[in-house]
Amino acid sequence: MLPMLMLMPVLQLVLFGYVVGSDVKNLQLAVLDYDHTVQSERVVEAFTSSGYFTLAARPTNEAGVKNLLDGGTAVIAIEIPKGLSDSIRARRPAQIGIVVDGSDSRTSQVAAGYAQGIIASLSSQFYALPSAKPGKTAPVGVDAQIRVLYNPTMRAVNTMVPALLAFVLLMSTTNVMSQAIVKERERGTLEQLFVTPIGRSDYLLGKLVPYIGIAVIQVIVTFAVGVLWFRVPFRGSFWVLGIGLMLFLFACLGIGMIISLMSSTRQQAQQTSLFLQMPQMMLSGFMFPIAAFPPWLYFFTFLIPLRYMLVIVRSNFLKGSGFVALWPQFLALAVFSLALFFFGLSRFQKRLAD
Amino acid sequence: MRRILAIARKEFIHIMRDKRMLGVILIMPLLQLFLYAYALSFDIKHLPTAALDLDHTEQSRQYISALQQSNYFTVNRVLNNYGQVDGIFESNQDQVVVVVGSGFGRDTTAGRAGAVQVLVDGSDANSAQLGQTYSGALSRVYGAKIAIAQYEAKGASVSNVGALTGNTRVWYNPEGKSASYFVPGLIVVLVTMVTVLQTANTLVKEKEMGTYEQLIVSPIKRIELMVGKIAPWALIGAVEILVISLIGIIIFGIPFRGSALLLAVASLLYVTCTLALGLIISARATSVEAANQLGSLVSFLPTFMLSGYIFPLSSLPWVLQFLSYLYPARYFMVVTRTVFLKGGGLSVLWPQLAALAGFAVLMTTFAAFLYRERA
Amino acid sequence: MDDGNAIQVRGLGKTFGDFVAVNSIDLDVKQGEIFGFLGPNGSGKTTTIRMLCGTIGSTSGSARVMGYDICDEPEMVRQSIGYMSQKFSLFEDLTVNENLRFYAGIYGLSDEKYAERRTYILEMADLKGREDELTGNLSVGWKQRLALGCATIHEPKLIFLDEPTSGVDPNARRHFWELLYELAHDGVTLFVTTHYMDEASHCNRLAFIYRGDIIAAGSPQEIKGRLAADTIVQIEVDDGEGALAELVKNPDVVEAYMQGSLLNANLGEHSLSQADIGGYLKRAGFVVRHLEPVEPTLEDAFVHLVGQQGGRA
Repeated sequence: MLPMLMLMPVLQLVLFGYVVGSDVKNLQLAVLDYDHTVQSERVVEAFTSSGYFTLAARPTNEAGVKNLLDGGTAVIAIEIPKGLSDSIRARRPAQIGIVVDGSDSRTSQVAAGYAQGIIASLSSQFYALPSAKPGKTAPVGVDAQIRVLYNPTMRAVNTMVPALLAFVLLMSTTNVMSQAIVKERERGTLEQLFVTPIGRSDYLLGKLVPYIGIAVIQVIVTFAVGVLWFRVPFRGSFWVLGIGLMLFLFACLGIGMIISLMSSTRQQAQQTSLFLQMPQMMLSGFMFPIAAFPPWLYFFTFLIPLRYMLVIVRSNFLKGSGFVALWPQFLALAVFSLALFFFGLSRFQKRLAD
Repeated sequence: MRRILAIARKEFIHIMRDKRMLGVILIMPLLQLFLYAYALSFDIKHLPTAALDLDHTEQSRQYISALQQSNYFTVNRVLNNYGQVDGIFESNQDQVVVVVGSGFGRDTTAGRAGAVQVLVDGSDANSAQLGQTYSGALSRVYGAKIAIAQYEAKGASVSNVGALTGNTRVWYNPEGKSASYFVPGLIVVLVTMVTVLQTANTLVKEKEMGTYEQLIVSPIKRIELMVGKIAPWALIGAVEILVISLIGIIIFGIPFRGSALLLAVASLLYVTCTLALGLIISARATSVEAANQLGSLVSFLPTFMLSGYIFPLSSLPWVLQFLSYLYPARYFMVVTRTVFLKGGGLSVLWPQLAALAGFAVLMTTFAAFLYRERA
Repeated sequence: MDDGNAIQVRGLGKTFGDFVAVNSIDLDVKQGEIFGFLGPNGSGKTTTIRMLCGTIGSTSGSARVMGYDICDEPEMVRQSIGYMSQKFSLFEDLTVNENLRFYAGIYGLSDEKYAERRTYILEMADLKGREDELTGNLSVGWKQRLALGCATIHEPKLIFLDEPTSGVDPNARRHFWELLYELAHDGVTLFVTTHYMDEASHCNRLAFIYRGDIIAAGSPQEIKGRLAADTIVQIEVDDGEGALAELVKNPDVVEAYMQGSLLNANLGEHSLSQADIGGYLKRAGFVVRHLEPVEPTLEDAFVHLVGQQGGRA
């Protein structure tokens, strides 16, 4: 059981790293071209050579577009109007229709964004203003230099892999710990132990230590894989990371204990554990930006320890943020961790005493 | 047949007597449903932003207020000098810093481009991506407005200033309701998480309890045992799908444009797959802990990763895309999304149904093989 | 049925890889008798039962149970036998009624038959009025009787009982055996495994299995009779362990072993008298408090037989 305990979660998370780290690309594009000119071909080419889109089909009418989108063969379609070429030559405004599959709103949003970007640059090319120097297509009005700091290529892996460190800890600790404790309750071996000279605190320690050990190994492996294989830059300090993770570990142990208190069978404990991991994954900032949450949910996220851990781990990795910069998160994490751990512990000891 | 009924009845009693488990299986999915459907969206609005105005002109102030009005950015604070920028990012106070260069007002009124620097915190790639896109788009739009104003001021005809723009239409979910996106997918995820884990436990528990021995000495055939054990979970799975769908439609107002029959058939096929998966685990697992571990490992993350729920499959490395074809959730996800939002019918969804049917047959056959007499 | 035998075993064997669990054994169990099957853990006892019940296949030989071949007709075998496992195999979170109903369904009883059997079993197990109690809340003695009821709900003529009284107090054990005697009286064949030697003597016939071989078979009298010629003395001594070690050195002592706090010494057919052995020990410095010859018990026989095989029981 031990190899499986250790390996599978890490393996899964590596896989997860690949999945979440994949930047949105290769979006299936349908092109409805009513113009059939050199210009319209340039438009298509701009899209297909961008790396974001793959040409899926060239339907001949809107019904064709609908079919493609309905069946999921394409997630985005562009409609090039008849007379585009004429408009460009006459310097009249022209419009390209973009249709996105809103049933997958994340993808459609990104796709629409890419499309708009490509069209905007095409606009500058086609409608180069007379006052501009020949060959230069500098935008007029506002010249916005956008710089992305700390992760210039915006590799999603860089955001997700540090987060996975925390998630590994959460997953394996709560799962395994709640199983082990509940198993003994199921078996009735808990009572047996109290006839022995073993003290309650020794029992707990003995129970916790191996899982702490396993968790530490898993974190180290995930870290190594992240830095060496996924090449996530580590600009922070091991101290900061280590202390943050340790605090978080105590929070997870506390959660694990609380789950085991609530469950009378291992099956219950596992199902509960699963159903607690999902919201933590969704609502802690792991996958979805917290800033976009409605106010009531936004306040709720302050109760999730993982939220603080994610800020600490991401900031430390990519920005080198230290204790000083991260003190609010550390404080919150410390409060939660100690509260959860000692609450779980005291309830646990009380239950053992019954 | 009577034997199958006897087993199914017994399993039902086990389930009903375990009140805690019932609570977990029925209530927790609903809780999640409410949380996610109401709350989640990929829209990034209100990106915490800091503004640094080095120009202090009417024009620069107008630009910053345009930013604020766009809803995508929330200008939380105004900085005084460039040196403060690093600190802001390091302590995560804001995710975007907009620096309006000195000379912005002078340049834009003179018909030149005004310089603006937008710094985005890349450590959260999700927000960074969209932050970059929005600020770019915003600046373009703003720039175009200024350009038009300038040309008009010079007396040039606006109609001579053309531009190519894109006009976006969002199909199936034009209001961009996040519930419409999440609920169909949640059906798949939640049902998987319950059915796989529970059936994974079923046989292993009997072995541990010691009742397994008694069962195999009785006349019951292994296949009958298998069918009897999954019968209650098939029912519970179906009920969950129904309840979540109804809540989605009635309470969240997500559309249902397709055929209920199609969804029912697909649900049946998919639940067969998940139950078979649980049975396979149950037949091979050596202990309850192992069954639990395997059950959750197989049902939790893979359903998120390989079904196309959150992360579009087209972006995955080909190895993972290949893997996703082997995972039934992928096909069911397409079906639920299509049936709810797009209204596609058999002509569009037959590949998915065929795949689900194929998997259902394959997996149940394998499970039956594992449960054959005299292994 | 086969010459009045409920079970007929010829050369039955089971090998797991290189390990020979059951080595070509022969057995006959007559209808209506109480047959005891004894052996230490790992001796092939459980494997044999499993083969006879048709739950695992044999690698050699053949057996007929209730007239059906275990290889060719295992389903018929399973329909005709009852089985009560060591762990009682009751569902703790089901009520008494629900457990009975479940087994009735498994064995395909008609509704009338079920009603009839149910009344009978509740009466027999003294559970009348407690039908809706959760099985998990019953004490061991009642669980045991309920388990027997469930195992016999379809009125089989042959019942396998695997250590049916382990963990049960002596009173309940006695009561349970009374139920078994009643069944046997009605012509049901009982195949019982047990660790308890005193229970073994309740059986009509016994077989000892050790390391895959049947080392003795026959009625308790016959088996004890194997040692009839032997003289066995029981010694009460102050340092049992030490005296045991000393006795083993004596070439005239066939075997010696502890029985509780007392020391048993088998002097074989030798003419070595009791007094000699007493003196021998006294000379070695032990205080002998009491010494007397005893009748060989089944346990003595068992130890002797195992010892002959070169092992220690």
